[in-house]
Amino acid sequence: MLKRVLVANRGEIAVRIIRACRELGVESVAVYSDADAHAQHVALADRAVRLGPAAATESYLAIDRIIDAARSTQADAIHPGYGFLSENPELAEACERAGLTFVGPPWPVIARMGSKIEARSLMESAGVPVVPGEAPEDQSDAGIQDAANRVGLPALIKASAGGGGKGMRQVTTSEGLLDAIRAARREALGAFSDGTLYVERLIRDPHHVEVQILADAHGAVIHLFERECSVQRRHQKVIEETPSPFVSPSLRDRMTSAAVTAARAAGYRNAGTIEFLVEAPGAGGEAQFYFLEMNTRLQVEHPITEAVVGVDLLHAQLQVAFGTPLPWTQAALSQRGHAIEARIYAESPARGFVPQAGSLLLYREPRMPGIRVDSGFAEGDVVSVHYDPLLAKVIAHAENRDQAIRRLIAALRGFPVLGIETNVEFLIAILEHPQFQAGNVDTAFLDRQTDALAAAARGEIPGAVRAALDAHARGSSAHSVPGSAPDWDPWSSLRRGTRM
Amino acid sequence: MTVSDLGNGRFLVVDEHRNVIVYVVGTPGRRWAFLDGRVVREDELSPGPSVARRGRPGGQKDITAPMPATVLQVLVTPGSTVARGDTLVIIEAMKMEMPLTAPEDGVVRDVHCRPGELVQPDAVLVELE
Repeated sequence: MLKRVLVANRGEIAVRIIRACRELGVESVAVYSDADAHAQHVALADRAVRLGPAAATESYLAIDRIIDAARSTQADAIHPGYGFLSENPELAEACERAGLTFVGPPWPVIARMGSKIEARSLMESAGVPVVPGEAPEDQSDAGIQDAANRVGLPALIKASAGGGGKGMRQVTTSEGLLDAIRAARREALGAFSDGTLYVERLIRDPHHVEVQILADAHGAVIHLFERECSVQRRHQKVIEETPSPFVSPSLRDRMTSAAVTAARAAGYRNAGTIEFLVEAPGAGGEAQFYFLEMNTRLQVEHPITEAVVGVDLLHAQLQVAFGTPLPWTQAALSQRGHAIEARIYAESPARGFVPQAGSLLLYREPRMPGIRVDSGFAEGDVVSVHYDPLLAKVIAHAENRDQAIRRLIAALRGFPVLGIETNVEFLIAILEHPQFQAGNVDTAFLDRQTDALAAAARGEIPGAVRAALDAHARGSSAHSVPGSAPDWDPWSSLRRGTRM
Repeated sequence: MTVSDLGNGRFLVVDEHRNVIVYVVGTPGRRWAFLDGRVVREDELSPGPSVARRGRPGGQKDITAPMPATVLQVLVTPGSTVARGDTLVIIEAMKMEMPLTAPEDGVVRDVHCRPGELVQPDAVLVELE
């Protein structure tokens, strides 16, 4: 087994990886920026190395500094987590040069899948359905315009290097085409230094369904079923679940075998995800699905698969990286019950989801049967402006979908996070929405319903809240310790003394 | 209704037929409370003017930065006529791009930011009239 793994990430995923290492008897090395010197992942790891200032480009994105940290601590592997450098082939390549094991696929695979145009043509040649479209040789405005006209409007102009909705424009009329092409190219050049564009037919109100796959170094490729991720705002997932309430058994069979085909075609190794768009079936027809992209890393939403399939994907990742064959065969895997994940973000749903920063004055994770919370923060921690505003993920697992929804709502209603605005109330409003409860939510749902959901989350201020606020005010004036409980608590004063 | 302080930010509120736990934390004027998934800030109890887009006398409006952010694009210049909802400035913070839009129809009186600039919360970026 690996002896010492450097975790090139922060927040909840770094904590998750460090815990998995500990379970397997593998030492962990955390890395951190100045903004994270007191972060949970730093305290939890066996060792920690400072990378640099808060700016990600000088810390979590600095490949040289991360490789140096691995060398100086004699780590034998690097786990990139998700985001940051996880899908940057240069980190994986630098690992190879430095004689380190990269916990992920070989770097040429990351590079190939990172080019949406290359990934598209590879899938097409492997017989995996792709969205009808065109990647023109002629990359001039006129060349892209011609391609869009051949594909037909409405269409999407997309960046080959794109992701997260950047460098993407929807075009419905030929008058708007030129502006959309220029805007997409400008955004792509700014974000990825690569303005290569392609055109896809617009799939109206699709479902976003992805398939988890796992491949080892001995030629085994298996899938771990699907995840429904259609609850998105501006291309960012908010709630994910498995099994998908939208996917029939026969569609599941077709999609999972296409995903395995795709992973084999890519020469894939370790954990990865094939994202598909699923178009609702026409009258009497079957639902169509199309390859969207491959994520060459562990996903944020991996815990719902772990719950329903009953496996540990982090353990599997580390074992595959070490060269161990996959511990399960496809036939041994099945879906049991239903799992839903809600992402807790420090953000303001009422003000266009503006990220929030500040201190977690009060933060109490729910504990109840069937609830898992993955987080990178604890009470008293500071959420900074420098990184992704994801605070925690709450995952509910139950016998069926209805029970999983109830369980997740109960957990969120019992998860006080105070001091920073979060989306907890917004999440509850989504889970209580009749359309979500009916299992009938496509990727356009959230953007259509945002205002109504944000309003539903607010309402009359309960009398009990007013009464408790009054009591707190009386208590703090009597004891003159602002913000603390009136009765003396050795732990809270210890925390204050040590943290600040 | 009776309230007991259970310590550590927890308050038991007993109504006629129901017991609930309310979490409260913060300093005078800036307290936060939580009950059953609902977060209430003390300043919501007596709503005042919104901080984000303060109206000023004479029909002027300031567009301010909601948080520390980097200005990506400035889409207007002094004298531009804008309609409600038009994007004036695009900022980036925590890896996310955010358009700042005009709260109402108007004319841009002045622009106080340029692309690449780091701006602090409540800094006035665009003045509208």
